Parts: sequence; structure tokens; C-alpha cells
Amino acid sequence: MSVVKQKDESKEWYLIGITTGLIITMKHLLVNLFNKKKMITLNYPEEKYEYSPRFKGNHVLTVKKDGSIRCTACMLCATNCPAECITIKASEHPDAQVEKYPISYEIDMLRCVFCGFCEEACPVDAVRLGPEWQTPGLNGSNFTYDINHLAYRPALKGGVASIVDDQDRHKAGI
Amino acid sequence: MLKCTINGVALEVKPGTTIIEAMNNNAQRIAHYCWHPGLSVAGVCRLCMVEIQGNPRVQIACNTMVTEGMVINNTSDKVKDAVKWGLDFHLINHPLDCPVCDQAGECGLQDQYMEYGQYDSEMAEKKQKKHKVVDLGPTVVLDSERCILCSRCVRFTDEVSKTNELGIFNRGDHAEIGTHAGKPLDNKYSLNTVDICPVGALTSKDFRFKQRVWYLKDSETVCNGCSTGCNVKVYFNKEGLFRVKPIYNAEVNGHWMCDEGRDTYKFVNLGARLTKAYQFVSGTWIENYAGAAAKVAGANLKSAKAEEIGLVLTGQHTVEEYESIVSTFVNTFKTKNIFHWVNNKESFESFDGILLRGDKNPNTKGLLQVLEKHGINASWSQLEEGLKSKKIKHLVVAGPENTFVYPDLEQKMQLFLTAENLVVLTAAKTPALEAYKGSNKITAIPLKTYIEKDGTFINFQGRAQKFKKATTVVSEALTLSDAATLMAGQDLQLHVASPREVLVAEHIRADQVHLESRTKNEFVFNRGRL
Repeated sequence: MSVVKQKDESKEWYLIGITTGLIITMKHLLVNLFNKKKMITLNYPEEKYEYSPRFKGNHVLTVKKDGSIRCTACMLCATNCPAECITIKASEHPDAQVEKYPISYEIDMLRCVFCGFCEEACPVDAVRLGPEWQTPGLNGSNFTYDINHLAYRPALKGGVASIVDDQDRHKAGI
Repeated sequence: MLKCTINGVALEVKPGTTIIEAMNNNAQRIAHYCWHPGLSVAGVCRLCMVEIQGNPRVQIACNTMVTEGMVINNTSDKVKDAVKWGLDFHLINHPLDCPVCDQAGECGLQDQYMEYGQYDSEMAEKKQKKHKVVDLGPTVVLDSERCILCSRCVRFTDEVSKTNELGIFNRGDHAEIGTHAGKPLDNKYSLNTVDICPVGALTSKDFRFKQRVWYLKDSETVCNGCSTGCNVKVYFNKEGLFRVKPIYNAEVNGHWMCDEGRDTYKFVNLGARLTKAYQFVSGTWIENYAGAAAKVAGANLKSAKAEEIGLVLTGQHTVEEYESIVSTFVNTFKTKNIFHWVNNKESFESFDGILLRGDKNPNTKGLLQVLEKHGINASWSQLEEGLKSKKIKHLVVAGPENTFVYPDLEQKMQLFLTAENLVVLTAAKTPALEAYKGSNKITAIPLKTYIEKDGTFINFQGRAQKFKKATTVVSEALTLSDAATLMAGQDLQLHVASPREVLVAEHIRADQVHLESRTKNEFVFNRGRL
């Protein structure tokens, strides 16, 4: 890249430039000292930023009224996933009305790009992107979340109930 | 020949052809469920509506014969309206099960709904609930709610398998497909009903919920389940093969195939395969590369006397492979001790009247032809005697890949293990070898299965059927010809396709003119000349 330097008399005066910079720094320092509300940084571990409830964070598998997993293993999320991070194994459910359910549902969080396509593809509101986003881990920790973690991790307090209910749908004759 | 016009295209058809057959044979699209080219006409789905000039109402194409000068049209608004409402009636009680349904992705109802659907149904009533997950027999599961009562499966059991297990019970919207009490759907062709079911009402127990169909690729090949040699499509992805379905060949199998043939993918998958070569030397198994093991085995054979060498072949390999290995043994190792291993000899000639044959090898005819060509007529008793009297010390066995149809496998392996130096070329894991505790030398070399190689099978009629490689399951495995080349001490000639072959050859138009000067980089050397 070629830059053409333009001669400017004022820039040759070193002291003026230095003081202008210092004034800006001091201005911010004083504003932050006496008016904390206007400060734009956070004291991170103590203070946390409140994202919108619609934030697309770690996935949640929703549950039915009885606490079992809502997912029907249709694989539309896995088909739609651009990062190919969802792996599902389907199996025959003992209840003929449910018919098909996942015996394993894994999301590789390190591959996931949090685009939310899985949520969009799901025909039964079984997978959602939740508000959880702080999930650091040490070396060797597992970022492939399995079905139990996705549906029943402690933060979910027994699972997130889906708005769609099979029994209601059957009663309505759908 | 009758002259008719379908959708503005003038056609000539044979007398007695129905309109739907004429359209189907001439690549004209028409909605249909109950009509199947291999079954009789039922005319129950009322979707194949066509407008015939001079006829005030739309007619069904499957049950109307073409007459001289008929002008037929199925693209008019009148026909589309008829199909739309017909489809809406089919969908009155059809559940919205697509996420759970195995047929999703290859479903006739889905396809036609996208084309002719009445997207806002005018039905206010609740859907009729019927039985789900009904166990019809050992292979098939029925979901009555999804059934549109096209009666294809009922006609199949009546007309093709002639076992009459299925029927339609009850009336009106209570009508259901079912079996008579105590008579399950249990015949050797039952899985064809799953193929012809246009919706997901009949599903195969074997394939159910294993994969969504859009994850599978397909490839056409020849079934190696028996000497009939049905033309089939195998469905696979990187995890392996998942199912086999028949494709139409009027001369060989028609539209159908047997249930046994559908299991032929199971021995191809990784779990059942020998993946590496193993050598049994002084009491321990040593892992080796397939090619290296074949070369060592070949060197051992070369140092042996010609009359001490024997070769056992099964009817499970391709003609090309037989030619290669037999000529190697005849010309390089100078032996004519080549034996044909016949499994279940008693049922060899049996035939069930539809497709299934007792000869469970796809290429017995091919093997016999190659042996005849080289003038080989060694009998099995010669091998047994030779092994007993230690006349044959070096034995090469090209084992079966479909080990399920070789009930005498274990027993024959014990016989072969009496040879001092045994080379087993096999695609399948062989427990008899692994359990061996003795002092003889054994080499096991992995082979490719029929899915993984190009070749020709000659079926019982003497019809040579070529097939192409579909996928690779065990990358290290050799074909029998590769093994023969390596054993003869030669190297494999790998054909490395040039980019021009790979990229250009497929895209060259048939009428494209090749100019000599164009083969060079014209933009550098010949700019302006062309």
C-alpha cells in the first residue's frame, strides 16, 4: 500500500500531539471514576452481561409433560445443520403412539456455529438454542453434549417443557 | 398399431395398451397410486385422471384402453382439479407423521402433494384413528393410519407370491389392511409389499429407523444371493450398506426380488469382513498388508512342486477374476488341480417357481465356463484324497463372501486346514481359522465383495450381466485378479486417470468436434489461430 504523506505544520509540533492524547485519556478516566453508569466495560466474573432471552446459546432438548424427551428422531435438524455437528440414532419406542425416538442425540459444540437452523427445521419444537453461553472447559473436557446433558443438565432444573403436546394434538384429531 | 395423441405428442401403441401404460412408456408424468406395472388393474385410487377428447368427464387412465385416434390430455385445469380433490380425499385420514415415517423422502403422497396438493384442507372433522405398529409377520410392520388402501400389497400376495395372506377388512373409513387370524405375512417375497407401498404404511423391520432415505446413495448392481441374478439397487452411505431393492428387468426378475436377496448386504458391511491379511506362523497370528501377504504366499507357491499345489474356487466371484486366477495357476504354477467347491449339493437344481433358486452362487455358470475353457476336470474326491495322502501340500482357497449360504463352511475349512500351507482368500471373517491350533502355515487375505468391484456374473440362463463398483467398504481388500497377479510375482498396474479423463470425458458432448490444436493450451500457443 502506498501512502502519500501530506505535510502538515501542526503535526511537526510533538508536544501538541502528546497532550491531546493525554487529555482524551484523562477525560475517560474522570468520567469513569465519577460516573460509573456510563462506563462501557464490565467487571466480568462478578458482573455479567444480560443478553436478550432470544440469544442463541447452547442447545436444549425440550421434554414432554411426563418428562420424557420430545424429539422424534426425524433427523431434520441433522439434515439442515450446515456444520454437520448433530448425530442422532433412532430406535423403536415401546409405545406405538410415539413410535420413534432417539436413543442417542449428540451435538458437537465445538463444530456448532449457533446458526439456529436446527431450531428452525424441527417440526415438533424439540430442540432450541437456549440463553446459556458461558461453558468454558479445561483441557480434555467433553464438548460433545449427549442426550442427557442436552435435556436434563442441572441448569435446566428437570428439563424445559415443550409447548407442543402430543396428547393435546391427538385429542384435537391431528 | 394404434395412433393416439397424448398431451400433444403423437404416439403409436400396441392394441390393448392402457392409457397409463402408454404414458409411462413414453416418459409422460401422471399421478397414480394403485396402478403398478407388475400387478393387475384395480382402479381404486382415482388419481390417474385424464381428459379424453369427446368425453364429457375425466376418466381413469389405468383402466381405459387406448383406441384409434384418441386424443388424451392430463395437463388441463379440469384434470388438475380432479387430481387435487382426489388427493384431498386420500389425505382426510392420513396422519401428519412424516417426521416419524420411514417413507418420507421417497413417498408418493409427499411428491404428489407438492405437485397437486390442496394446501388448505376443507375437512373439519377429526382424523380417524387406526392401529399403529401392527406386526404383520417376521419382516413387515403395518401402520394402518398411513394406508391409503391402494390394495397393491393385497394384489401382490394374490397374484405374484400367490400366498393370499393380506386382505382389506371392514368398510368405509374403518377399512384396514390386515392378515387373517393366525396367518402372518410370512412368505419368501413379503418385502416386495414394502417396495410397492406408495406410502409408509408397510415398512421393513430390517430397515426401519436405521437411516433416513435422503442420507443414502444408490447404485445398480446384480444380486449375488442365488443363480437367478436379479437386477438390484443397493443403498449405502459411508457407514456401509443398508438395503437392497429390485429394479425392473423383464428377462431376469421382472419387478421383484426375494427376501433372502435383500439380506445380501449384511455380509458386505464392515462388521462381517476380514479387513487385514493375517499370517499364522509358528503358533501366532501376524497382521500384514493384503498385497504383501499375497506376494509372500505367491513366492511360497513358486518354490513348490506343481503337483503339490491346489486351488479351490466357489461360484461367488466374477468371470474376469476366474479367468485371471485360473490362467495364473495353469500358466505360472503349471497345475491343473483346480477344484469347484459346491455348497448344498442336494438343493442345487431346485427352483420355487418365482425367482429363488437352490444354487446360492451367482456365477456357477461362469466358473464352469472358465474351467472348461482351460480344460480342467479335477473332481472334489481328488482333492480329498490329495489332502489325505499329503499329495497336495499347498492349497489356495477362494472362499465364499456370502458365508450364510455355505452350511458346510466349518466342515470344509477343517478339511482345508490339513494342508501344510493354506492360503485363504476370503471377504468374510472365518472363525474356523481363528480357532486353529496346529503347526500348518496359514495365510488369510481379505477379498473384495461384489459391491466393491466391476465384473460379470453369468446366471442360470447363461445370461452375462455386467455390473459396476458401487462403493468401497474395506479399502485394503484385493479382488481375486489382484491376488492372482500378486501371487504370480507381478505388481499391480494401477490405472491413474488423468484429469482430462476424469473431468472432461464426462462433459464432452456427443457431437463435440475435437481439434488437434485444441489439446494444447490454445490461449498461450495458438491464440488468434482458431
